[in-house]
Amino acid sequence: MDNPLTLEPLFHLGPVPITAPVLVTWAILALLGLGSWHATRHLSLTPGRLQTVLELFVTAVDTQLRDTLQRDPARFRALIGTIFLFLLVANWSSLVPGVEPPTARLETDAALALIVFAATLWHGISAQGLKGYLATFAEPSWVMIPLNVIEQITRTFSLIVRLFGNVMSGVFVIGILLSLAGLLVPIPLMALDLLTGAVQAYIFAVLATVFIGAAIGDQPPAASTQETRP
Amino acid sequence: MTANLVEIVSILAAALAVSFGAIGPALAEGRAVAAAMDAIARQPEAAGTLSRTLFVGLAMIETMAIYTLVIALLLLFANPFA
Amino acid sequence: MSFDWWTLGLQTVNVLVLLWILSHFLFRPISEMLARRQAAATDDLAHARAARADAEAARADAQAQEAAVAARRADLLSSARQEAETTRRSLLEEARQEVETLRADAQAKAAQHRIAAVHALQDEAAELAADIAQRLLSRLPETARTEGFIDGLVAAISELPEHTRAGLGADAPLPVRAAAEMSAAETGSLAARLSEVLGHPVTLSVRSDPTLIAGLELDAPHAVVRNHLRADLDHIRQELLKHD
Repeated sequence: MDNPLTLEPLFHLGPVPITAPVLVTWAILALLGLGSWHATRHLSLTPGRLQTVLELFVTAVDTQLRDTLQRDPARFRALIGTIFLFLLVANWSSLVPGVEPPTARLETDAALALIVFAATLWHGISAQGLKGYLATFAEPSWVMIPLNVIEQITRTFSLIVRLFGNVMSGVFVIGILLSLAGLLVPIPLMALDLLTGAVQAYIFAVLATVFIGAAIGDQPPAASTQETRP
Repeated sequence: MTANLVEIVSILAAALAVSFGAIGPALAEGRAVAAAMDAIARQPEAAGTLSRTLFVGLAMIETMAIYTLVIALLLLFANPFA
Repeated sequence: MSFDWWTLGLQTVNVLVLLWILSHFLFRPISEMLARRQAAATDDLAHARAARADAEAARADAQAQEAAVAARRADLLSSARQEAETTRRSLLEEARQEVETLRADAQAKAAQHRIAAVHALQDEAAELAADIAQRLLSRLPETARTEGFIDGLVAAISELPEHTRAGLGADAPLPVRAAAEMSAAETGSLAARLSEVLGHPVTLSVRSDPTLIAGLELDAPHAVVRNHLRADLDHIRQELLKHD
């Protein structure tokens, strides 16, 4: 059985070792890029089936963002939508034979969590100013400053480990089952994997939204951005 | 022998972590599902919202078990003392 | 436990690239399209609202026109009815007046007829009375028809005013009409009586006139003294007519 925690580079591109998740991510990137370019090339006021689906998706993201942030979702739409879409496609890429989801590797999840962390900082500073954002760390009182700083780090870690654990465990369990039974037996678990993948993508996007919402504060009418701790 | 002992202890620890780590989330999921069923029985028209929230909550709770699984896998495959 | 930092970096770059691609090729066009659709829908809604307002205004106009037509019709109807009423009333009035005049005419004519009939009757009665008197008197002697009236005539003359009496028969014979032929003796006695009452002698020119029936009439130029039945009968008739 492969060690799910280690990565062997497939080949080297100059000094850069290229691993399987990077390759799969490139494929996903090309797929999503070409697909979206193709889908939005001929937009019209009377949408076709594909355009309706895309509009429904964008509207759903907007609604979710507006509900959570109580703000105009235009600035956050691309980030949250991209995270959700990428995670969904990456989690479901296990359907393709021989492909391991890139999210089953710690590095991809860490990259995503890093981006979310950076976006949290960026939006928090741009919304409240550097001083205002730093002041939120001493929110109830200055005693809480170390705890708040630790919370920033731990919640990023929990974000990484949650996604990694869920996807990796699914892949791992299927690998074990395949080595034991082979035909047909892993199918229910694969279906469960699909559900888990979708739910985890949703949870990751929602948590990213909540983190950003907590960072930008709630000056506009009573935003309900309660901390959702793992 | 020392290396063997570390391996044996690691395997035991992994099994313990998964088994005990599964208890809490199992109880929690049971409570969550029971509460959700109760709520759906009271308000069948809110079943859609409730089940969506239930799934997200279950995934969150499940994450606890996943954490222990990750620890177990770390012990098994990436043991820093092995 | 190994953590491939190269992979972390590559994946971060990958996700950022994907973020750019999707925001450029998916989210921006779609949200722009949504905004455009919303604008178009708002536009259409505004158009539809305007159109509906127009239609409602037109309907209100039509209703107002209908109401105006109805009011005019009602006006026309009521005026026509009024006209008919006035025409009927005037016709009735005219007819009543006509009937009234006709009745009044008829009444007047009837009254005239009655008066004429009464007159005729009275005339007839007078005639009859004169006839009866003549017939009755004709049974009396001739002298009775004149002599009997001499006293009356003398009395009548004596009641005349003084200067009239003085003028009577002073320079001409007094014309006297008698109902019957008077003998010379009678004439003489009459002249004597008249001379007596007038206070100077008079001569008489006697003319007989049977229409007097009985009696005498002094027919002087200044005074007429009637003392005969014809005058009485006429008088009676006048009285009768006055009573009617």
